[in-house]
Amino acid sequence: MSGAKTAADQPATALFQLHAQQVEKLPPCQAQCPNSGDIRGWLGVIAQHEKNGLTLNQAYDRAWEMIADLNPLPATVSRICPHPCEDLCTRADKDGAVSINAVERFLGDWGLSRSLPLPRIDSEKHPESIGVIGSGPASLSFAYQMARRGYSVTLYERHSVPGGMLRHAIPDYRLPREVLDAEVERLLGLDIALRQNVDLGNDVDLEELREKHTLIFLGLGAQAARHLGIPGEQGPGVITGIDYLRQRKERSESLDGKRVLVIGGGNTAMDAARSAKRDGADVTVLYRRSETEMPAIGTEVDDARAECVDFRFLVSPTRIIRDGESIQSVQVQGMRLGEPDEQGRRRPLPVPGALQELAADIVIVAVAQASDWHGLEAVDTAHRWLRTRDDGKLDKDLWAGGDDRGPSIASRAIAQGRLAAESAHAELRGERGAGAASARNPINAGAVKTDFYANQQRSQTPRRPQTEWLSNPDAEINQTINYDQAIEEAARCMSCGLCFDCQQCFMYCNASGFTRIQETSPGNYFVLALESCEGCGKCIDLCPCGYLEARD
Amino acid sequence: MPESQGGQDVSISAENLGFTRRQERTPPLRNTVLADGSRIAVIGAGPAGSMFSYFLLSMAETLGLDVDVDLFEPRRFCHRGPAGCNHCGGIVSELLVQRLATEGIILPHDVVQRGIESYMLHMDVGDVEIATPLHEKRIAAMYRGNGPRESEPLDTQSFDGYLLELAQEKGANVVRRLVTDVRRDNDLMTVACADQHSERYDLVVVATGVNSHLLENLEGEFESFHRPARTKTFICEFRLGHELVRETFGPSMHVFLLDIPRLEFAAMVPKGEFVTVCLLGDRIDDDLINRFFSSPEVRNRFPGGVIPQQACHCYPRINVRAARPAYGDRLVVIGDSGSTRLFKDGIGSAYRTAKAAAKTAVFHGVDAASFKQHYAPLCRKIGNDNQVGKVVFGFAGLIQKTRFARRGILRMTSNEQAQTSRPRRMSGVLWDLFSGSASYTNVFVRTLHPAYIGSLVWNLVAGNVPGSAARHGRASGEEESHVRR
Repeated sequence: MSGAKTAADQPATALFQLHAQQVEKLPPCQAQCPNSGDIRGWLGVIAQHEKNGLTLNQAYDRAWEMIADLNPLPATVSRICPHPCEDLCTRADKDGAVSINAVERFLGDWGLSRSLPLPRIDSEKHPESIGVIGSGPASLSFAYQMARRGYSVTLYERHSVPGGMLRHAIPDYRLPREVLDAEVERLLGLDIALRQNVDLGNDVDLEELREKHTLIFLGLGAQAARHLGIPGEQGPGVITGIDYLRQRKERSESLDGKRVLVIGGGNTAMDAARSAKRDGADVTVLYRRSETEMPAIGTEVDDARAECVDFRFLVSPTRIIRDGESIQSVQVQGMRLGEPDEQGRRRPLPVPGALQELAADIVIVAVAQASDWHGLEAVDTAHRWLRTRDDGKLDKDLWAGGDDRGPSIASRAIAQGRLAAESAHAELRGERGAGAASARNPINAGAVKTDFYANQQRSQTPRRPQTEWLSNPDAEINQTINYDQAIEEAARCMSCGLCFDCQQCFMYCNASGFTRIQETSPGNYFVLALESCEGCGKCIDLCPCGYLEARD
Repeated sequence: MPESQGGQDVSISAENLGFTRRQERTPPLRNTVLADGSRIAVIGAGPAGSMFSYFLLSMAETLGLDVDVDLFEPRRFCHRGPAGCNHCGGIVSELLVQRLATEGIILPHDVVQRGIESYMLHMDVGDVEIATPLHEKRIAAMYRGNGPRESEPLDTQSFDGYLLELAQEKGANVVRRLVTDVRRDNDLMTVACADQHSERYDLVVVATGVNSHLLENLEGEFESFHRPARTKTFICEFRLGHELVRETFGPSMHVFLLDIPRLEFAAMVPKGEFVTVCLLGDRIDDDLINRFFSSPEVRNRFPGGVIPQQACHCYPRINVRAARPAYGDRLVVIGDSGSTRLFKDGIGSAYRTAKAAAKTAVFHGVDAASFKQHYAPLCRKIGNDNQVGKVVFGFAGLIQKTRFARRGILRMTSNEQAQTSRPRRMSGVLWDLFSGSASYTNVFVRTLHPAYIGSLVWNLVAGNVPGSAARHGRASGEEESHVRR
């Protein structure tokens, strides 16, 4: 025997303890959503409805309400959102990302078809009066969040109809105007006053509004497109993408047999190209970089191709050649890609001598957006966009949001409007901002055990047959998934970082350390009794969604 | 304790009927014989569930019967650590390996972590090695899942994973769902899962083991059902590396007879780069574990007498009294969740109960009466043997507690090991007791043999004469020794 001796009170072996704790994590979908949508939350309400005593109808109602809490226009936004939420979906590498966008669209339509009312927060009325300039997504979101908190809100819109870019720049085949009308009408039903045909700087000035209202929100948008600044640009036959799309909404004109060149590679360029195609034109899109650098949504580019829109990459227009008034051709400079710029996109550089003329009748310029600062002389507009605090505050009684702070997708505009309202409300009520609400840590890559989940193919958004796209030019191409598909798709959510009641911890804990909660809800199914935990860590290893983790 | 008191706890009628649903008289069943298209749910794909599926489908095949078997198992045995593990020491006796081979279940080499050639018995009075008797009762050590946490991916396969594949090859449909409830639903059975999925079956086979909460749910659903009584055990894994494991532990399973109250059986099993420590007894707790690891006999197994950090540990519960009754109409409970041998050979019991239940279902019927007539006798037999086992472990406990008895055992065993010509009565008893190769009844009967008793008495005396050379048997001499101190 060796003479080894231990003090009786000192353990001979320290067991490697893995005590579990239940910690909610931020899922990648929500982290990616500009509006921080609680996607996992509303998918969970649907997928787990039976566990929580809801009928499927009730679950859809509840899920819609959760979306509407952050976004008053779900049917509208879901139709045009490039859904970054799906990009990093944990399911993507297994059998395809959850079709979050398709379910949101279903719920948006569900809310409209059921006439669900937008959820109010405060029943008490506040005395302050709020003025909102513009009625695009940022303004509507701000107005909604203030109105539901009990403020009286007035929208000032310079056009005859509200909606901003949603109204003017998105073609009907992507967003039927009935959907937008219905959602805006529901929103205005929260006692929001709308003053149409009021142009800031002409019909009313900012000082006047500042006197009239306690605070003002600037949601001017960025509808004043930038020009190319090349010879021949001034004159008939050249139109900006947004102007073209707006005119077309009012009265569409035949472009039969016309050769249309669309300059630009963004979503407005795609909308303009596809609209011109519907008006009968031969359309070519010119873009100065290559296809991989195009900022437009990939499916929009594919669809434009399917509609026989031509693309010419690595060309930049240098001159519009006219014969008298009418356009004859556009001279373009061949480009090549150089080093990446500060945004990481490779910079286009001219190739010496590579000049070419492309025949054209009409040129649509959709290269970049700008805001119209007319009537905002009292505000610092020296920079290209408004510079605000993160919460949108610009001055003591001024908040701003949307494209006037730099162009982005509708979801970001909605988020900026909402955050501005939360900040404005807190200030008016003398409360602290609710900034710390989302202090959850993002879930680690690999924390979700994807092989636990059964394979289930992603349901595709149904589409109108391609043969009908151009023959029925205003009919919406994408369609809504049906009642059954919506829950099937919701059930594909892996619930990254939040308990979804798989019951593995409960069923397999040797110590019976988990007890089922009486009143369950998504994320809230079991309590863990720490005193009974034996530290084996089995539940942590088993937990498929990464909700259970080791305590330090 | 289990069987003899069983009749008192459970009313006679409930015992006769098997599982009965709460507040319900069972109506006469229709179609209690499996036919083409019959649907069978097997809950749990441990050895019992997989072997049941394999046997049932094989038997159905010979009858030309086309039945569907859904084998429910949400876990994956390819996972390392507890997620893929089915906690146990991972010992299969050679007898069982051979019996499985006759059934067409041939354990491939990559399933066996290490063939065990001998037992090393460690006591405070000395160590003795017991070689494989007759070179046939070897045992195999393997992992039920895919090895402990942090283990390297090896060219090895999980035992449970291998059996599951066999069942799958026979035609079982593996369903990756966690079953949370089993209900009687008119004439059929409904199986409900955590993801709100549910299906109806002609027969439900419960093979969840005793570490699943489902048995508690069954108790809630079926009034007459009593889940097995359980006790807490301890298993942990040390990662020492292939070389050290080979050097220190060799091809031996190390058994410790230590004077620690409530500790019935303690062993260390070498498996590849790991060593599994397994403590069985009555309510294993941290104090008991600490006393075990503090004892010099255990510490000396490790380099420098220092217990390293373990890679993985858990406290699995084991079945110490069978489920009662383990059957009902369209319902049968097999493996650890039903009846199993006390402390030993759980996989052997899984095999026996799985086969008997499959045979009953295919050749007799799936009603309570058929299971009562053709399945219950096996459960009773196991239960009766466990009664004898308790007596045997009682004796072993006495030996653990008394130093003079330990000396006697040590002397008798080491003398036997040194002489190949004489019958190795003590060695055989110990081997079969540790390995589970023979029934407790068989072991017990052999200890009643006059030659065994005589030899034991002599060794008790000789082993305890102070200062006597005979105290350590032949081992005190210069020649090769089986006694190690």
